[in-house]
Amino acid sequence: MDTRTFRVFRFARDDGPSRFDTFEVEAAPGDTVLDALRWIKIHHDPSLAIRHSCFHASCGTCGVRVNGREALACVTRVGDQDEGRVTVEPLANFPVIADLVVDMTSFVQRFPSPHPAARISEFPTSPEVPPGIDEYQRFEDCIECGLCLSACPVAATDDTYVGPAALAYAQRILEEPRGADVGALLDWADGDNAAWRCHAAFECTEACPSNVRPAQRIMHLRRALTGGRDGGS
Amino acid sequence: MSRSEDELDVIRAAREARGPVLRRSPGPTAWFDIRKTGTGHWAFSLNRITSLGLVLYLYLHLAVLSMLLGGEGSWHGFLEIATTPVFLGLDVLLVFGLLFHGLNGLRVALVGTGIATERQKALFWSFMVLGSILLLGAALHIIGSD
Amino acid sequence: MTQSASRTSSGAHVLIIGGGGTGGALAHDLALRGLRVTLVERGEFTSGTTGRHHGLLHSGARYAVNDHESAVECIEENRLLRTIAPGSFEENDGLFVAVSDEDMEYLPRFLEGCAVSGIPTQQLTPEQALRLEPMLNPRLKAAVRVPDATMDAMRMPLRFFATAKRNGASLLNHLEVTGLLVHDGVVSGAAVRDHVTGRDAEIHADVTVNATGPWSERIATMAGVDVPIRPSPGVLLAVHGRLCNMVINHLHASGDGDIVVPQRALSIVGTSSWVVEDPDDLGVPGDHVARMVTEGSKLIPAVATATHRAAWSAARPLIGSRGDADSGRELSRTFKTIDHAAEGGAEGFVTITGGKGTTLRGMAEVCADVVCRKLDVDEPCRTRETVLLPHIAYFAA
Repeated sequence: MDTRTFRVFRFARDDGPSRFDTFEVEAAPGDTVLDALRWIKIHHDPSLAIRHSCFHASCGTCGVRVNGREALACVTRVGDQDEGRVTVEPLANFPVIADLVVDMTSFVQRFPSPHPAARISEFPTSPEVPPGIDEYQRFEDCIECGLCLSACPVAATDDTYVGPAALAYAQRILEEPRGADVGALLDWADGDNAAWRCHAAFECTEACPSNVRPAQRIMHLRRALTGGRDGGS
Repeated sequence: MSRSEDELDVIRAAREARGPVLRRSPGPTAWFDIRKTGTGHWAFSLNRITSLGLVLYLYLHLAVLSMLLGGEGSWHGFLEIATTPVFLGLDVLLVFGLLFHGLNGLRVALVGTGIATERQKALFWSFMVLGSILLLGAALHIIGSD
Repeated sequence: MTQSASRTSSGAHVLIIGGGGTGGALAHDLALRGLRVTLVERGEFTSGTTGRHHGLLHSGARYAVNDHESAVECIEENRLLRTIAPGSFEENDGLFVAVSDEDMEYLPRFLEGCAVSGIPTQQLTPEQALRLEPMLNPRLKAAVRVPDATMDAMRMPLRFFATAKRNGASLLNHLEVTGLLVHDGVVSGAAVRDHVTGRDAEIHADVTVNATGPWSERIATMAGVDVPIRPSPGVLLAVHGRLCNMVINHLHASGDGDIVVPQRALSIVGTSSWVVEDPDDLGVPGDHVARMVTEGSKLIPAVATATHRAAWSAARPLIGSRGDADSGRELSRTFKTIDHAAEGGAEGFVTITGGKGTTLRGMAEVCADVVCRKLDVDEPCRTRETVLLPHIAYFAA
């Protein structure tokens, strides 16, 4: 059985400062970082606090930084990491609750209202939909994982920036209003800490595991704000 | 208060005792965070750092020009310093700052108006290659012109 | 809904162990009845079985032939959930697709079972089905439309947590039960370890509910009682590409890989079934993953060539005694509330177990009725008519 060395960030709120614990983990190359973390929790240290739920990049709860890069632990293969130690840390720019668990409250609170979960499905295109159904629906791509906010250098500089996920969501509502007040949304996007604070690092698009492409959407949002096209992507 | 309410309060109080804990306070120190390896992060950070450098240069440049008021003698004194290797090296650094800030800024401006958003990484590296060629030329000119 | 956070006239406190969909729905139900509720979960909410399923909002049609009780539960809750959690479903319906002659032999029993269970069906020709779902196996022989839907397996249950929290329930994740407080056959609460601070504590309650799904037996043992639960995992496979909008089921008696559920830009193929002892150690058998591809591609050929996003296992909590069944498929998918006092086991302790993602509200109602009876609290269930808060309300400060 293959063994990899994992270096995991630890922080307990009642204790002293944070530290890194090192574990020798039985992990085959095809195993995921989440598999390794759960193996540590079950075989070594049950006090390791981690978040996970769906195991297939749909719930967005297992966001961490693996060897310095943002990733969803459940679909990040151990075998894809560079030789040597695998370092796992919590997301950046989020308050840490304990170990790898971060507080999602301030992230979620940055989203504009409303926050519709479903959108029109664009694929696969079908000639018909079942009678009684207007159009096929699907959930928005954004899984609210926060990898984008962790990767964003502006958010690292100033935590009042609303961040890529919130702006990308606003742009999606511009594309498909679903009854939202588009004028109010544009005002929000035009605000002090919104669309104009992005400096095109594109780290958010790089980090996004769900093809939201937040950086591109922010640029489209700016076009809409300057009277250009209606934010279509 | 019931016993279980007390128990929960103790658990909550212990959890909240340290308040929200950010590993790194937000601020300009983020521009120097070597754990960050993304290209975009360094493009952003270098843009901030070069802008500070260029502002500092502007101030120094004005200070130098004001030496002209001191007449030919003080200007010659400056030229002696200005031809030392250290100073020439700083000149090369200045050219780097101008080129990086200018070309990266051009990328940000283009992408910010919706141009090349899907190829922005290629755009960045093309500009970096262009900038490197120009920097090399400028460096040879500056150092060779002695 | 602004129920006061303080105690009811009886002052009773209910401790729920287990933060899956069932625990969350139960916290919501009891909070609406005015009880003081504390829920503890050792990891993140829905990190057990609830968050891992493919997201099917069951029409119940899969159980129409062999498990009538489950089928009726499903279709009732299917309808209810759409009204109390609007906006949390891709309401695209589903298809049961026959691809072989054996499947066609199953068709009449299937239609009859659905009719008897109150599940509306609509038979379609292969041409009609292909117009609705162009990526189906072009050699399909028949299709039946049913009211399946797709949910986000974590976010839909999170709405129950959000509403319960707003109504005064204390929801504590990363708090693990290390033992139950038992004296003279009476369970008076639980000993817990807080993984956030590393400290130990005790939580006292008038009734303790075991809502831990496949871990039910582990908790029940702490009270000295037995719960006939066999963790029965199944493998799921997520492939890249949204290959369908409707839920696609194989029209046959339950078998491996007989469902494809769309999840955003992925397609989830499920599932298989075996039985284990330890719900923390499920494994992901490679041959099961291969079977998902083989079976799934009978419904949608593109499954065979799609790249894989993830393969994982989730354990169903199946009710059945140690001697029953070997694969898990034979056990019923219904749910069960066990008042351990009634069986001479332990006072102050109730287990709610079994069931499936779709029936979380119904399970909670039955369990809440039992809990209220034990506490002599006369409050009706209000969850059928209470619209849930959006999931992001959970994160409101």
